Amino acid sequence: MTPMRAMVIDDSRAMRMILKRIVTKLNFEAVEAGDGKEAMDLLADMTEVPELALIDWNMPNMNGLEFVTKVRADPRLREMTLVMVTTESEQSQIVRALAAGAHEYVIKPFTEGAMIEKLALLGLVPTGANS
Amino acid sequence: MSVEVEVDESDLAEMVEQVWESYLDPEGVSPLIPTYDENQPSEVHSSVSITGSWTGHVVYASSRAAAQRAAAAFLAMELEEVSEEDISDTLGELANIVGGNVKAMLPPGAQLSLPQVVLAPEASARFPNTERISGVYGMWEGEPVSISMWQSSTDNKEEGA
Repeated sequence: MTPMRAMVIDDSRAMRMILKRIVTKLNFEAVEAGDGKEAMDLLADMTEVPELALIDWNMPNMNGLEFVTKVRADPRLREMTLVMVTTESEQSQIVRALAAGAHEYVIKPFTEGAMIEKLALLGLVPTGANS
Repeated sequence: MSVEVEVDESDLAEMVEQVWESYLDPEGVSPLIPTYDENQPSEVHSSVSITGSWTGHVVYASSRAAAQRAAAAFLAMELEEVSEEDISDTLGELANIVGGNVKAMLPPGAQLSLPQVVLAPEASARFPNTERISGVYGMWEGEPVSISMWQSSTDNKEEGA
């Protein structure tokens, strides 16, 4: 079975490592980007679009909200599931991200279990992957 | 203009507990033990600045040993594998997470900076024209760790757009 792919977009290498560890545990192949612009550049070169993107909000060059907006405007990327993973926890910010096209919202700090639960709700945790 | 901030020690303590539960002590075996000693020493620190409806800084400070342990826990590494870059990244993210949660408790219009990390004591980088308004001070496996908030004592006239 072809593994699913996940893009982990965060300017913090430490946070990318945590997220990468979680998605790898769920049998995703992970690709990292340090900001939204780098992620868009990587996506432009990919023949197959990742099924999932985990996206920080506050990043240099292109922030997470801008990234979500750009992805949603691109028909080629329409199938990507977008999950914001951020410290931006105000209700107004959550509404903005969801209105821009994010599917889910995870507030830092999060436990591994909480993240897996969110991904399971999105149907992105294959049976037996989290064992 | 900066407003009176309503984030107190118990709010900070709750954030710290969440950070420990999520990253530094997921098994719940080594919590931060409060010392209430705001003068405890540190060897490294990280900070984020908040501007807008409130102006100040959120600072994470610890001994180097505690920072190394935090990086090992955060990145799921052995202690001896931890590099300076790992410590720096972890400290930055810890300040970012606590700062982001503090910002969420402030009136709308606050903005968070990217984190700054200084592998030197907190005392070496006191923020000018600020006063400490809140903090959590403790020992983690025998090593000092603190999270504190510093409020700017001057009005924030040019920022907050």
